[in-house]
Amino acid sequence: MRSYFSDFPKTALQASYWLFVIYLLLPLALMMAISFKDANFVAFPIDKWTLKWYAQVLQDKQFLEACAYSIFIALMTTLFATIIGVWIALLISAEGIMARSVIFALACLPAVVPGLINAISMRIFIRVLDIPTGTGAIILGHTVHAVPFVVIMVLTRLRSMPNNLVDAARDLGADSFVAFMRVTLPYLTPALAGGMVFCVLTSIDDFVRTFFLGGYQTTLPMLIFAKVQGGMSPEINAMATLVLIVTAAIGLYAEHFTRRSRT
Amino acid sequence: MMVDSSMTETAKVSPRAGPSYAGWIGKLVASPLYAATIGLIANSRMARLVLLLAIPLVWIVTLHIGPIYQMARISIMDNYPPAPGGVVYTLDNYRLFFQEPLYFMPFLRSIIFAVCVTATTLIVVYPVAYYVAKVVKPENRTRALLLLLTPFWAGELIRTFSVIMFLANRGAVNVFLREVGLIDRPIILLYNYFSLSFGVIYLISLFMLLPLYSAIEKIPTLLVDAAADLGAGPWARFRRVILPLSKDGIISGCSLVYLTSIGVFAAPLLLGGPNSTIFPEIIASLFHGSSDKWPEGAAFSILMLAVSLSTVGLFMRVVGGRSVKLM
Amino acid sequence: MQPVVHFRNVNKSYGSSLAVDNLDLAIEPGQFVTLLGPSGCGKSTTLRMLGGFETPTSGEIFLDGQEISRLPPNKRNVNIVFQDYALFPHLNVRRNVAFGLELKGMASDAIHKRTMELLSLVKLTDFAERMPGQLSGGQRQRVALMRALAPNPNVLLLDEPLSALDAKLRQQMQIELKSIQKTTGKTFIFVTHDQEEALTMSDVVVVMNAGRIEQMGDPHTLYAKPRSRFVANFIGETNFIEGRLKAIDGGLAAIEWNGSVVHANLNGQSPAIDSTVAAAIRPEAISVLSQKPANTIAVSGRITQRIFKGDHTSLTVSLENGQSVVAQLDPVALSAVTGDDVWLTWRENDAVVLAD
Ligand SMILES: Nc1ncnc2c1ncn2[C@@H]1O[C@H](COP(=O)(O)OP(=O)(O)OP(=O)(O)O)[C@@H](O)[C@H]1O
Ligand SMILES: [Mg+2]
Repeated sequence: MRSYFSDFPKTALQASYWLFVIYLLLPLALMMAISFKDANFVAFPIDKWTLKWYAQVLQDKQFLEACAYSIFIALMTTLFATIIGVWIALLISAEGIMARSVIFALACLPAVVPGLINAISMRIFIRVLDIPTGTGAIILGHTVHAVPFVVIMVLTRLRSMPNNLVDAARDLGADSFVAFMRVTLPYLTPALAGGMVFCVLTSIDDFVRTFFLGGYQTTLPMLIFAKVQGGMSPEINAMATLVLIVTAAIGLYAEHFTRRSRT
Repeated sequence: MMVDSSMTETAKVSPRAGPSYAGWIGKLVASPLYAATIGLIANSRMARLVLLLAIPLVWIVTLHIGPIYQMARISIMDNYPPAPGGVVYTLDNYRLFFQEPLYFMPFLRSIIFAVCVTATTLIVVYPVAYYVAKVVKPENRTRALLLLLTPFWAGELIRTFSVIMFLANRGAVNVFLREVGLIDRPIILLYNYFSLSFGVIYLISLFMLLPLYSAIEKIPTLLVDAAADLGAGPWARFRRVILPLSKDGIISGCSLVYLTSIGVFAAPLLLGGPNSTIFPEIIASLFHGSSDKWPEGAAFSILMLAVSLSTVGLFMRVVGGRSVKLM
Repeated sequence: MQPVVHFRNVNKSYGSSLAVDNLDLAIEPGQFVTLLGPSGCGKSTTLRMLGGFETPTSGEIFLDGQEISRLPPNKRNVNIVFQDYALFPHLNVRRNVAFGLELKGMASDAIHKRTMELLSLVKLTDFAERMPGQLSGGQRQRVALMRALAPNPNVLLLDEPLSALDAKLRQQMQIELKSIQKTTGKTFIFVTHDQEEALTMSDVVVVMNAGRIEQMGDPHTLYAKPRSRFVANFIGETNFIEGRLKAIDGGLAAIEWNGSVVHANLNGQSPAIDSTVAAAIRPEAISVLSQKPANTIAVSGRITQRIFKGDHTSLTVSLENGQSVVAQLDPVALSAVTGDDVWLTWRENDAVVLAD
């Protein structure tokens, strides 16, 4: 097979790919390596290996509480963002809706506004409305940020949905609610799964919104931020490694899931 | 033997207890309670329309537009919360920005920084995206892409942290260079523009990679073959065929990277130094800390939002020509 | 007998364009009725109004004597088989067929029994657990049909259900559909733009054009006695005879054409003497003779084309007035070749006068 793409400087392209992979992976790999280092300061080379940092992290009450708090926020965010995102997507894809593109653009607004500005505007907003900072405010901020992504994912999936599936369900006796629950929602499953994982991961990862909207309780990124600023010990590496493995596993699984259901 | 197997066959086809079906749905829908509640809405065109419109529109107006509106409103107040004498609306907060180089310069630096980061990311990531989309065999493509995606599941702070450890004085790079014998004392890589750009590119190259990849992947191989048949060399093919056809990907990739890098917050706090203060830190300091200067902060945020969005708009106009979707 | 479906003066317009124009149509129970017409003539719109997916702009639709024009689809006892089947991709074959039964609130055992019965009717019991994506086009078609039949509708609507199948499978499904209609005794309203399909399957064919009914009748009548130029043209191959009406005599029209006077059945029309009229004559009704017949009227022409079509040969004969006529003949009947002069003749009643 003759391919004209391949007589581009193929080796150069290949090299650039692998260099980039190294650029992406090496810092993380080294960071993980140090989490096994048996010494109190974070530096190379590693002479002795240990698992004690993991033992320490897993007993660290602050860390476990931050994890639980972050997960709680992420789950609430996911719940609200999914419901509202699907709702907005349904509106945008509805027949005969006026100003569809305007609604779409406004629905995407929080994703386009730079993160810091988004966080600040939310901070101002809750102060104007006298909403206290803290859990509720964080969830609100995260949800506002996550909704556009859910909307986009759901809309993409809705576009590929044969438009007579709902008609068929209605024809067989389903009212519009039953048709939605039994046909549209199952059809959206892959997009919803992808969107939910996205919500969970971005919420767990979010720093800037939590920074402006948070109260006294620490989320995981806040904790890591404080520890990184405060001075380093391999304990942070162990912490980061644990978090990384869990989130990457979720991400990879979601990727696998959506890819499989797409075909 | 024969009888046996045929018996198991029939047993399989018509089991005594059949599988269960969701007949309860029909019963539920027929129940008076349902008919009086959900059924009422589901069967009324008007109610459905109201329900479909209400939540999304209320949400979008209050929470997508509301915060920006409030920010704009406060940005023209003289004090927030309003002083006892009442609110005075003024443009002083904006004037302050242009009069005070302390604010103005970091802003310029931020914009220039974001532009440089965007350009660098584009140049670095384009060949990678091209390689995965067109050189890698289709069956290996997912794997090649996943290798690039995996680090991004790690999260902003963890990745920033790994960059710090990579570039620190006793970090991987310096230790390696010393072991090899290239340097005696560590070169300072951290807390300057270098570490900042290194880190920010590290954080956001995914936003460039994915749009570029999907745009390049869509270019039909036949088209490039045709160009080659017409005698175009590799460079001409790239410039005349591939580059214009991946324009959409370039536009959305650059827009996303630009908008993200202009608003990065954690990375400058951790990776930047005293000489590389960029605007987000300035804005944030107006909201935190002892001096509570919300109106100024709001005004600067509005300026930053306006400038960043209009740069992107302009960029799309110039490069894209026609209308382009951001996502 | 009360019609099972009755459209009364139904109009449907989209904006300024009229998709269905003053439709008046009564359908008897137990019949296989086909809506036939070119693309965009309003067949689907008619069907969708009956299914409840469009509301008429004006007029009423009756189902079993009950006015239903404004009922939502789930409140009507009709079911549709969609052109692309619209099987639910996340449910297996069994659950697809059971969908309508579940919504009737039937007990699991009863649902299962009926579902399996229906599947065995189309020999798909072995496929009950498959997903729609794992079926062939013909199998999907059958599942869609059974899913629509499962809730026992008064009327089954089929919107070009066979158009996605290849020619061979389509023929097979035509026979199967017809036999299912016979065994169930249900009213089928079938939409197609394939005239052959309409003629083979239907008890009644409704020919539509631009939102109106052109003609309605059993296939034989439509073929033998088309009322309009459109119907004659749309169904089968036709020659048109156009000329001045000389006289009307005992149900026959005498038309001046190509230098002679030919006769055609008036077919219920009453054109004025001396006006220009058109009549249609099917190719296979024309006899081609090598000599002028003694005692019948005949038209002379010259063969310009001869095409062997297997069971017959098609001749194109060019007349003195410049028109061409297509005729069919048995391969053995005449050994005329291109360039020969021939005479064309037909039985008077085989040509029919058209309304336009
Ligand atoms: N939702 C709609 N909006 C506007 N016009 C429509 C709509 N649906 C149908 N039409 C118009 O109404 C006319 C009839 O359409 P219809 O779908 O009934 O045709 P059809 O006979 O089924 O054609 P086909 O054989 O191509 O399916 C067409 O001119 C079509 O363009
Ligand atoms: Mg149609």
